[in-house]
Amino acid sequence: MDINGKIYKDFLSRIERFKVQNGPEKIKKQHAKGKLHARERIALLFDEDSFEELDAFVTSAMPDTGFGKIDEAFGDGVVIGHGRINGRIVYVYSQNFTVMGGSLGAVHAKKIIKVQDLALRVGAPIIGINDSGGARIQEGVASLSGYTSIFHRNIQSSGIIPQISMILGPAAGGAVYSPALTDFVFMVKKTSFMFLTGPDVVKEVLNEDVSFDELGGAEVHARKSGVANFIYEDEENAILGVKKLLSFFPSNNMANPPYIDTKTEQEKNIDKLRAIVPDDPNKPYDVKKVIKLIIDQGSFFEVSELFAPNIVVGFGRLQGKAIGIVANQPKVLAGVIDINSSIKAARFIRFCDSFNIPLLTLEDVPGFLPGLDQEYNGIIKHGAKLLFAYSEATVPKITVILRKAYGGAFCVMNSKNIGGDYSFAWPTAEIAVMGPEGAVSILYKKELQEAEDSKKLQKELAAKYRSEIANPYIADEKGYIDEVIDPAETRKKLITAFETLENKYVDQPSRKHGNIPL
Amino acid sequence: MIFSKSKNSKQKFISCTGNNKKYEFINPKKLYIKQGKENIPIEIITDKQGFVYIIWKKKKYLVNIIEKNQNKYEVLVNGVSYPISVETPFSYKRRKYLANNKEESKIERIQAPMPGKIVEFFVEEDQIIKEGEAVLILEAMKMQNEIISNVSGKINKINFKPDDIVMKDDILIEVEK
Repeated sequence: MDINGKIYKDFLSRIERFKVQNGPEKIKKQHAKGKLHARERIALLFDEDSFEELDAFVTSAMPDTGFGKIDEAFGDGVVIGHGRINGRIVYVYSQNFTVMGGSLGAVHAKKIIKVQDLALRVGAPIIGINDSGGARIQEGVASLSGYTSIFHRNIQSSGIIPQISMILGPAAGGAVYSPALTDFVFMVKKTSFMFLTGPDVVKEVLNEDVSFDELGGAEVHARKSGVANFIYEDEENAILGVKKLLSFFPSNNMANPPYIDTKTEQEKNIDKLRAIVPDDPNKPYDVKKVIKLIIDQGSFFEVSELFAPNIVVGFGRLQGKAIGIVANQPKVLAGVIDINSSIKAARFIRFCDSFNIPLLTLEDVPGFLPGLDQEYNGIIKHGAKLLFAYSEATVPKITVILRKAYGGAFCVMNSKNIGGDYSFAWPTAEIAVMGPEGAVSILYKKELQEAEDSKKLQKELAAKYRSEIANPYIADEKGYIDEVIDPAETRKKLITAFETLENKYVDQPSRKHGNIPL
Repeated sequence: MIFSKSKNSKQKFISCTGNNKKYEFINPKKLYIKQGKENIPIEIITDKQGFVYIIWKKKKYLVNIIEKNQNKYEVLVNGVSYPISVETPFSYKRRKYLANNKEESKIERIQAPMPGKIVEFFVEEDQIIKEGEAVLILEAMKMQNEIISNVSGKINKINFKPDDIVMKDDILIEVEK
């Protein structure tokens, strides 16, 4: 080809037009809103110069519909392609708000579907960066069909490749369901929103005044609805968060999570662990301290930190190998299991099971949260999700009982009977059907009624119950747990235990799928 | 392809301290810190015991990162802890932009997460509190639970007193953002 000839010039002029279209004024427009441009986000996400764009020059399907004009722009409102993150192939689509507000028409949808299909075919994770005004009204049903095809692929890929959504602008109406179907949702404070119906419709239908932030801001979804798993102050840190999260995942369900040499020469005996659980069983402590001491230094990455904080879930590493951690948090609501914490933990466990990430459970739970509110809203059904998820998971599962393990909650939190591989307990553990106070008031009802000083008697009986029944030794002697261990040895014990389980294989009968109580 | 060139290698960072002092530096290895218009060289050394020191203007400071959450750090320097956030030029601009766009002050209500008995208040009316600060202890499920404020602001009103029994969703404290 003659480099000065017409053919080459035509090729270049097209690229020139493309450059103009993505010029600095478009980027400025995004920056003025406190947002990055779709391409800047991609540049931050991938390893240097590894991104390859696909379908950069396709144009929207119908330039003129007679009902509102559609901009003729290369690439329509979305950038798609693949690149490497820490050396591993990852697919991406990034909606471009500067092209018709990132609205989704037939071509836009086709591009997203293209990367979804590719990612599934090659078994690579996919990241969707959402920043779109919603369906392109001018294109009518074509937009709707596009959305639906995207949803379908989200569901087909679920449990086969990790899917991560970043909401970095508005996501309204149908657009919220694709992120909701993926494994993890990232949001950014103040500039990202998710809702099915916007403030205008709420005002019209219910006559309620709500702001964008109150209705579907990052804080709302992180704290109240639980839709957002991670929220960040800004997009750059959110993108770093996505990269960190991906480092714990295998590329697909057939692979094992990558091993990373964390290079920490950690002591195997950690005396500090002995001092964390207070002697007074009514005193709370922060279970995150326990987690951080047991796993590799600085490796803890918490998921859904602000939603149902009475249970802590997250990823970490034990001698460089990724594990999923589920821990009751005595610091919040006494660490009870309620509806939200059941849902949060169950979903996390199912993710780990899908992607071969072993599970560590740290248990200190006084029971299920009682009350009308919980019962009316179906704690029975939602608590069953947690039971189902633990029981169904075939990855290595280990429990350490730190303190309370009472009643139904003992059964639910990965007991050996629902398939836990190993159960350890600290000497501070209290394993029984119910707490001492409750138990003695049932067992000694008559005596307590007749006693002169019933409070004093109850206290005495409770103390007796605690020392004779509510301890780990009965369970240990009867084999319901494997060993009572010195807290300082926990890390060492866990490393060995997970090593022995590395080749765990569970043969399951074939079925379409179980029927988890939804 | 064309526009998505990564420029991660020479990323400029800005670090902000609690009192909004601003320092600039470039990642990763060039250890100069820009303070105002001056470029000041710094050195970071690790001794055999694993302690980290910063040498700044010929003085040696012992440093230790206590807590890291996203881009926010709590750093111990010579025994005093400082909150520090690390920003990029864009996120720094964004922070300023969002600060100008603040919504008018609003009342945030701290509600009882479950039924229980109030043991103790840590705050009083008109007190200024920070996000994440514990405001009271609620005894429930036979446990003493710290109730934490999700916002920073001024305590507007306290609705109960110690030993009061509260129901779920009772408004315990009102905070003016």
